[in-house]
Amino acid sequence: MVRYTVRRLIGAVPLLLGVAVLSFLFMHLAPGGPDALFARNARMTADQLAAIRHNMGLDQPGYVQLWRWVSNLARGDLGTSYSQYRPVSQVIWEVFPNTVLLMGSGLVIALVFSLVFGIAAARRPYGLFDNVTSFVSYFGLAMPVFWFGLMLQILFAVQLGWLPSAGMTSPQGGGPLDVARHLALPAFTIAIGSIAGWSRYIRSSTVEQLHQDYVRTARAKGVEENRVVVGHVLRNALIPFVTVVAIDVPLYLTGSVLTETVFSWPGMGRLFYDSLTVRDYPVLMGILILGAVLIVLGNLVADLVYGLLDPRISLS
Amino acid sequence: MAFDPVPDPKRTSPRTPKTLDDLVQARIDGKLSRRSMVEKALKLGIAAPVVSVMLHATGDMAFGAPTQRPEAALTLAQAATVKADQPTKPAGEAKQGGTVTCGTNEEPDTLHPWLTQLVTGTDVVVGIMESLMPYDSAEKFIPCLATEVSIGQDGKHYTFTLRDGVKFHNGDDFGPDDVIVAWKTITNPDFGAFNLSGWDKIADITVDGNKLTMTTTEVYAPFMSYVAPTSIIPKSVIPQPAPAAAAASPAAGATPAASTAFDDFKQTFGRSPIGTGPFKFKEWQAKQQIVLERFDGYWGTKPKLDQVIYRVVPDDNTQIVQLKTGEIQLAGSAGNIPVTRVDEVLAFPNITVLEFSSQAWSHIDLKQMDFLRMTKVRQALDFATPSAQIIDKLLKGRALPSIADQAPGTWAFDPSIQPRPYDLDQAKKLLAEAGLTAGADGTLEGKVPTKDGNVGDGEVKPFNLQLWYVSGSADTERIVQVIAQSWNQLGIKTEAKSQDVSTIWGPEGYQWTKDMTGCLYSWFNGNDPTDTFYWNSSQIPDSPTGSGGNAIAYFHHFTFQDKIDELTTKGDTVVDQDERKKIYAEIQALLHEEVPVIFISWAKSFSAVASNIGGYWPSAYTNLLWNVQDWYLT
Repeated sequence: MVRYTVRRLIGAVPLLLGVAVLSFLFMHLAPGGPDALFARNARMTADQLAAIRHNMGLDQPGYVQLWRWVSNLARGDLGTSYSQYRPVSQVIWEVFPNTVLLMGSGLVIALVFSLVFGIAAARRPYGLFDNVTSFVSYFGLAMPVFWFGLMLQILFAVQLGWLPSAGMTSPQGGGPLDVARHLALPAFTIAIGSIAGWSRYIRSSTVEQLHQDYVRTARAKGVEENRVVVGHVLRNALIPFVTVVAIDVPLYLTGSVLTETVFSWPGMGRLFYDSLTVRDYPVLMGILILGAVLIVLGNLVADLVYGLLDPRISLS
Repeated sequence: MAFDPVPDPKRTSPRTPKTLDDLVQARIDGKLSRRSMVEKALKLGIAAPVVSVMLHATGDMAFGAPTQRPEAALTLAQAATVKADQPTKPAGEAKQGGTVTCGTNEEPDTLHPWLTQLVTGTDVVVGIMESLMPYDSAEKFIPCLATEVSIGQDGKHYTFTLRDGVKFHNGDDFGPDDVIVAWKTITNPDFGAFNLSGWDKIADITVDGNKLTMTTTEVYAPFMSYVAPTSIIPKSVIPQPAPAAAAASPAAGATPAASTAFDDFKQTFGRSPIGTGPFKFKEWQAKQQIVLERFDGYWGTKPKLDQVIYRVVPDDNTQIVQLKTGEIQLAGSAGNIPVTRVDEVLAFPNITVLEFSSQAWSHIDLKQMDFLRMTKVRQALDFATPSAQIIDKLLKGRALPSIADQAPGTWAFDPSIQPRPYDLDQAKKLLAEAGLTAGADGTLEGKVPTKDGNVGDGEVKPFNLQLWYVSGSADTERIVQVIAQSWNQLGIKTEAKSQDVSTIWGPEGYQWTKDMTGCLYSWFNGNDPTDTFYWNSSQIPDSPTGSGGNAIAYFHHFTFQDKIDELTTKGDTVVDQDERKKIYAEIQALLHEEVPVIFISWAKSFSAVASNIGGYWPSAYTNLLWNVQDWYLT
């Protein structure tokens, strides 16, 4: 398994290089540029603009800029942010843990609820519980985040006054409990969309497994129903589900612009959006590369988990 | 008449109002419908003209929302915005200590005063760092690090008397050398300051005791407005590179984007600024908040507050929710509340909404291309733009009409010019005079000018116009739709097109295409009336990536270019304010006549502040924390 992992990681290097080059090209094909706003500044002279372009390296031909970026990347240097005058790694690293915290909590909530709902619904297909959860699921999928988030704020922060409306800590700071109180609403908002989709997914694959021969065998030999579902059916039903989650997780970790904006959460989604509006190329490309690395890792982890769930899948 | 303009439905009032004041107060508090107020007033024997004054006082004329049922009036009660013509003065004693939490939509890029590109950055910086002489909210220079300034007869010598006994937060003494190092650093191309206007006009600085004299290379009227409010940084934290490196021009740099001696200074100072201001920097949690705390060694009035916290709340809705819950107590400057949310916030019991003029003028650029080069066509478009209706209906009266580029209320503004009325007949007449007639499909067509911009002598073209605007605001979209519809009625095929701001100002923007284009957006004036940047031929970019504000004259100069060049240059080189006022009056008249752009409105700004915060005084001329030492809680 170690050899397999190493081989996969080495194989990812050319892929990441391709992502680096492509994201650079797309970025530079987009209309406008990081200097567009400077050029229309009332107090900017032509000399100054030239000096700023020079400092950003924008006065160089595209291939020189690309080569410089890729070779710096190879040395682990993501460059300096155009708008914040700080190393990109520092800019990203400040907000990345916040995103991991928010998305991680959202994921855990989503996993727990979708497993419980999905299995419960599969036990009695088209029963009352199944119909109710499927209605709620479609509602959850259809709801726009900014609206749902605002409703949560109005209910829990304005009307009931139980939770803070937004932010990650109180202005005066606070311990883990303070963070948890701030985390509750955005994490639930993140989770709701996934619960809706994932619980449907688990329901259908569980229903499918329940009709398999091995289930009948297990029941025939007198295995208790809960053990049938958790010990036999779930294990098989989870295999396709792991793929879905593995694709979703890295997307989660690169942040959610809407949820982070509505709840003023200091995360990667907002960093990406803010950087996009000012065309802060170095930060944008740093985030894209990080996203690509996470997707590669996510898929690798999924492949390793298959092996654990189902010994028939060999990794060698 | 004496009454409180802020509605309070809980106020106890006599069951049967006996005096005129009682009646007005009851109406303001929403306890009386408009009709019953009029009835009761007439019963009390109050003359009809007085009743109409009462209606004014209660806002019925302004808002036109009479309500018949008293219970409905309780919820619809229009609390009025309060004009911010002085600092807030809540009832009660000023307390020592406390924290004010401000909310803004955008995080500062950096707190380096010479690098920040954002209003939100400067909003915080001015609480930490001070300048020689900043503006106050009455558009006057006030003494700060300099106690006074005298300007030499030739208009090229500015002598500042520096204040003694001022200390920086790091313990350094403030002195003339700090100003000299500021000048050398800001003008050093290796440093790459965001703006060096004014500083680049300094030929020399001499020091005599506590007198510091700046000599300029030429007479430059806006000098004070740029240099005097620039934040001063202690010289000990600024690297002072060898003169040889400083002299190197950017183009001569051997390695591109080479690191310079300033890199570390730009990085670290921007995240941990030091100044002489009433508050010192404590911490910055990325994308969350910036915390400032009182500086006990401050030279001036000792600040009353312990802390000021600047929270980043990117979403408008969330900002309003947080004002309601009290999680933030102030939204101002870069964090001003949107015009469309004012009514909602007025209904919050413990929040006051302050209203003040802004320096933002909303207008439609008309690129000098084909028919748009003709004065009569541009005048026709102005007649066909329902600016007054846009202000009344779409902006709910929360903006001022605009005739040219100087803000109402500033000294350079000429109040004698009237905006063109909305008049489609007049517009049609002017278009016909410009030689445009309806073609087969109803679209106007005619000969485009080739040499003289006002004479159509070229090929025949249809009048197709693209109207661009910055995406993201529903209000802007509605305004563009109204205008496009009106222009379409004239037979001008107007197509609305939205783009994000970096695209609009980039080389793919509307300024550089060969089509007829217009673009709706706002310019923000500085505190000096100089407008060379907008109209002068020296400000026409040399290429789509060049600098300069006069991009609409990129393909063809204005037909009145020589005249506007002469006037704008004169405005920059005459120092006497009365003389300048005449020049800017002439410019405004010329702009109104020639309509190089369609002037639509001057935005008003609205800041929400908890009713127990005193000393807060926002304006278009100042940034959020400019007088934070005067703030207090009751």
